[in-house]
Amino acid sequence: MFPGSFMMGAKDRLLPPSVPYRFFAAAALFHLAAWATLAVAGPDAIRGFVGGQGLVLAALHMITLGTLAMTAMGAAIQLLPVATRRPLGPHWACRLMFWLYAPGVLLFCAGLALSLPWAQHGGATLTVSGLALFGWLVATNQRKVDDLPGVTHHTWTALAALVLLALLGVLLVVDFTKGFLADHTGVAAAHAVLAAYGFMGMLALGFSYVLIPMFVLASAVPNAVGKQTALASGLALALGAGGAAFGFGPVAALGAVVGLVAVGLYLKGMLACLKTRMKKRLEPFFRMVWLAWGVLPLSLLLAGAVALGAPLDPWAGVWGFVLVFGWLLSFVTAILQRIMPFLASMHSSSLGGKPALLSHLAPKLPVDIHLACHGAALVLVTAGLIGGWAWPLRLGVYAGLAGAVSFGVFTVEVLRRYRSHMAAAAAANHEG
Amino acid sequence: MTVSAQNVENEKTGGPPEWLAVALDTQPLDVRAMLAQGIDPFEAMMEAASSIEMGGFLVVDAPFNPSPLRRILAGRGFSSYGRKLTEGHWRVFFHLDGGADWEREAEVTVLPEGAMTWREEDGLHIDVRKLPPPNPLVAILRVIEGITGNETVIVHHEREPQMLAPELAERGWRIARLSKEVVNVRLWLERVG
Repeated sequence: MFPGSFMMGAKDRLLPPSVPYRFFAAAALFHLAAWATLAVAGPDAIRGFVGGQGLVLAALHMITLGTLAMTAMGAAIQLLPVATRRPLGPHWACRLMFWLYAPGVLLFCAGLALSLPWAQHGGATLTVSGLALFGWLVATNQRKVDDLPGVTHHTWTALAALVLLALLGVLLVVDFTKGFLADHTGVAAAHAVLAAYGFMGMLALGFSYVLIPMFVLASAVPNAVGKQTALASGLALALGAGGAAFGFGPVAALGAVVGLVAVGLYLKGMLACLKTRMKKRLEPFFRMVWLAWGVLPLSLLLAGAVALGAPLDPWAGVWGFVLVFGWLLSFVTAILQRIMPFLASMHSSSLGGKPALLSHLAPKLPVDIHLACHGAALVLVTAGLIGGWAWPLRLGVYAGLAGAVSFGVFTVEVLRRYRSHMAAAAAANHEG
Repeated sequence: MTVSAQNVENEKTGGPPEWLAVALDTQPLDVRAMLAQGIDPFEAMMEAASSIEMGGFLVVDAPFNPSPLRRILAGRGFSSYGRKLTEGHWRVFFHLDGGADWEREAEVTVLPEGAMTWREEDGLHIDVRKLPPPNPLVAILRVIEGITGNETVIVHHEREPQMLAPELAERGWRIARLSKEVVNVRLWLERVG
């Protein structure tokens, strides 16, 4: 026996598990709700969507705010302090963030779906409050970090994008009732660029530099790569959002080109990192990462085409779908597949027993079904949008819904297995 | 006799290296007060080391023999020579000459992630301090995956590695903490069963 105390799961910097998991469970629920809402909306509403209130816009925000940003919040509050070795903020602030944000997103999406101005305004206020608190927590954590430029440069850009997208988002919501914006579509496009490539995209790129090497057990990505991608993607974002907001198509298209350069640098860095990995056989979650990485440059090509004058119907819809459901949703669900059992394993030795094995906490069948359904949904919905066909759209939405159900089963099963492990550990302690 | 031949000769006889005569003129960087206040002097020392040009010297006064620092700087090309002046006062002389003397003496192995390993009586030691994430995790797992028997692995870390426990469990290992000092969290890793 070694002298000294056992680590009991090394929980110094870990939040209580209920804090990050409430974000992850909410993300899985909004994921399900979004596909269900699209199923209710039907193919005609999806095919003709170019903005405006209704079920499709509500479903879109269930994904962007409810699943993507919700996951980013839950992952950030748990992993940032571990990666940066700096405290994030008090636990109550993380809980408050959830209780502002989750009901806010629910109310806001209900307001969009049912065209209820009071729900839109109230929901947007709560949502922006939750996002502001998130921004403050992350900024506090990052302020003194100077040794992880690959993460922090992207995160600062993401926070800047968050401020702008929230501002534009509030303007768009008010414009639904007041109608004061001269170019609602242009502002909506800038809002979309800032949200998808700016806030979520930058977080995805920045967090990749820690999460991907950690999950595949590879050497850290060199800081120079992170600095280059942050610079290039920041420039691309400024060009893209600025061009969209002020109606300068060629400027926005130039942003897409610079964005492709940034993505090229990012993927080159990631592939070099993968070559150093210890895990020769990549885990199942990585199939979704490959899918996301493949779709990301495609989304930029579509963005460039739309910026250069491709007909908004159907190409704006195709771009939005490929960007949000293809790149971001694929990437975020991949990270959730890995991070949920990983955090559960980290917490599972808190009662003093052996940690639960990652391989025992993560069921494989639900993620296999999710992958198949999600991939089918991407292909079918994209084909339906391009061809203007109803049946692929309907089938694609049902496939997405089936995938979301499967992903929900995965989430519940991870939590059930974790609780079962903890109950056994508590019983062993009681007997001991 | 050349300088390097003299160094080898001195090593054999336990004497100081030839370059020490020049290094004695260097003003020491005294980190004892910082450590007494609980401040990690690592950054100050690395900043001082980064300004040294090839052939130059750095002298550090510390309350103990700063073995981890010597290993880290050895990886950056510094040879070192330490003297215990009084109880609680060590003076270590560093010479930027490629670090060949130190490496031969210390039998340190540098892993691809930058971690250093060496053997002592109590097991295989690995120092992962100041490595960017996730390199400490990767280096530790690389070491334990290379162990076939029941050898103990002693990790020198700067913090508790939260991500390590699940990966160790997956490989049939477990983690224990022996001590937690200002700049040295030491973890004892052992195979389960």
